[in-house]
Amino acid sequence: MGNAKKHHRLVDTDRPNLLEDTFPYTLPPRIKLHGPLIEYIDGQPVEFDISDLETRPIFISDTTFRDGQQSRPPYTVDQMVRIYDLLARLGGPNGIVRQTEFFLYTKNDRETLDKCRELGHTYPECTGWIRAVKGDFRLVKEVGLKETGMLTSCSDYHVFHKLKFRTRQACIDSYCEVVAAAFEAGVRPRCHLEDVTRADIEGFVLPFVDRLVEMSEQVPEELRVKIRLCDTMGFGISYPGAELPRSIPKLIYKLNRECGVPSDRLEWHGHNDFHKVHVNGATAWLYGCDVVNTTLFGFGERTGNPPLEGAIIEYIALKGDTCGIDTMAITELAKYMRSIGLPIPDNYPFAGRAFNTTRAGIHAGGLRQDERIYNIFDTETLLGRPPRVAITDKSGADGVAHWLNEFFGLRGDERINKIKVHKLARWVIDQYDQEGRLTAISDQELEAKAKELLPDYWKKYKST
Amino acid sequence: MATVAERVKAVTARVLKVPPEEIRPEQSFAEDLGAESVQSIELVAMFEEEFGIEMDEDSALAVETVGAAVEFIRNVCKEQGVDVEE
Repeated sequence: MGNAKKHHRLVDTDRPNLLEDTFPYTLPPRIKLHGPLIEYIDGQPVEFDISDLETRPIFISDTTFRDGQQSRPPYTVDQMVRIYDLLARLGGPNGIVRQTEFFLYTKNDRETLDKCRELGHTYPECTGWIRAVKGDFRLVKEVGLKETGMLTSCSDYHVFHKLKFRTRQACIDSYCEVVAAAFEAGVRPRCHLEDVTRADIEGFVLPFVDRLVEMSEQVPEELRVKIRLCDTMGFGISYPGAELPRSIPKLIYKLNRECGVPSDRLEWHGHNDFHKVHVNGATAWLYGCDVVNTTLFGFGERTGNPPLEGAIIEYIALKGDTCGIDTMAITELAKYMRSIGLPIPDNYPFAGRAFNTTRAGIHAGGLRQDERIYNIFDTETLLGRPPRVAITDKSGADGVAHWLNEFFGLRGDERINKIKVHKLARWVIDQYDQEGRLTAISDQELEAKAKELLPDYWKKYKST
Repeated sequence: MATVAERVKAVTARVLKVPPEEIRPEQSFAEDLGAESVQSIELVAMFEEEFGIEMDEDSALAVETVGAAVEFIRNVCKEQGVDVEE
């Protein structure tokens, strides 16, 4: 203390300033950015203009059926068609969920693709995924896709130890042969720079991308190579000042401005091994990569990928508008995924059963007075999920009252105050103090007790 | 008929399980008589039942002492036209 440089005067008021421009409640909180961002690259300050993010066409792509499926037993054809249909609804008519990719190797893979396309949705566009093998293009051509991802691994871990190339040059030549085959087949190749955050950027990645750019200059716009930056092991870092190859800002700068790959042909694909997956994806958007690749609920290889629904909320927060996105589809997708055996943790943001459930009585008290106090945004309107309280020994009468009001569906003056719920609140406390209970009380138990202890309310609100 | 003070004391003794003769007007429900959160709610509910009145939740829960409760309830009874023994 004592080193203060500036005195800060209290702005006293009797009118609360709820900062509603940033926290509109009807939408997720706005992410307002003021630029430019400065990153020192090769010793020089480089500016990134982020002021255009509100208007820049950024998108989400999906790999639920590819990376997402690598982490679980295969989906059935019907399941994938249902998920695809819901993805289309989620992304809306503007195609915010722009593309999704399919394996093409089995009869089931191809049948799924056909059935998804038969639904007639414009978005997500269906793309493929193949190895960097010329023969695999036969599959892409057969199913009539316009774009396919192809593995072009670029760290020496992969080039030498996995793929067993004798030299980097041999590796690049091999990849480029497949790219040429794609052009010849009239299919746009999307080169997945596998393990790029552990690669020799100057010595391998940039020369390879330079060559892809040169090849692309010889073909029509719609065939030009897209680049997916694959943070295969989750090594990517969003912080300014981080070094290559882990720095996301520097990686994007090098590809975008040095190699000349335009933003709309750059895509980020992350993994969550270091808990950085969502922010890394959003960082890629900020620094000039237009597309972030995701999976539903983050299901993906090992620790998973950027969660699609997280990217959706981020997108709305950045744009300040839903842009046609149907956020209710998140809840429907979560319900569907659970029904087919995919575990979504209860505390998982936006979709877990308890993501907006409080167990603390003091928070329940706040919710009861004004749900904005302890709810992130209007989760009832946007997700069909009103804030809830789970009843434990910490819930207090506030929590019990909130639970009952939600249970009976009471609004405004109809809401029951906590004085009226004292018998139920006492029963809850006694469960722990007298009965030695250690678990939360289920909705079913509370329902039974509410019927017994609040017969008048039951008769009024539940008997019809 | 018992006075408001006597009835408040009786309800307090019953809910908080303390002998009525030990309850004094200046005592705080929480600090002196040990009322826990849910017991404060029960006290208000029992006062409502005892006097046949409806109390504003926030105002009632803001009352701290036995004496203040007597005064508060006396006023509510008057407002709601409930006859009580002074």
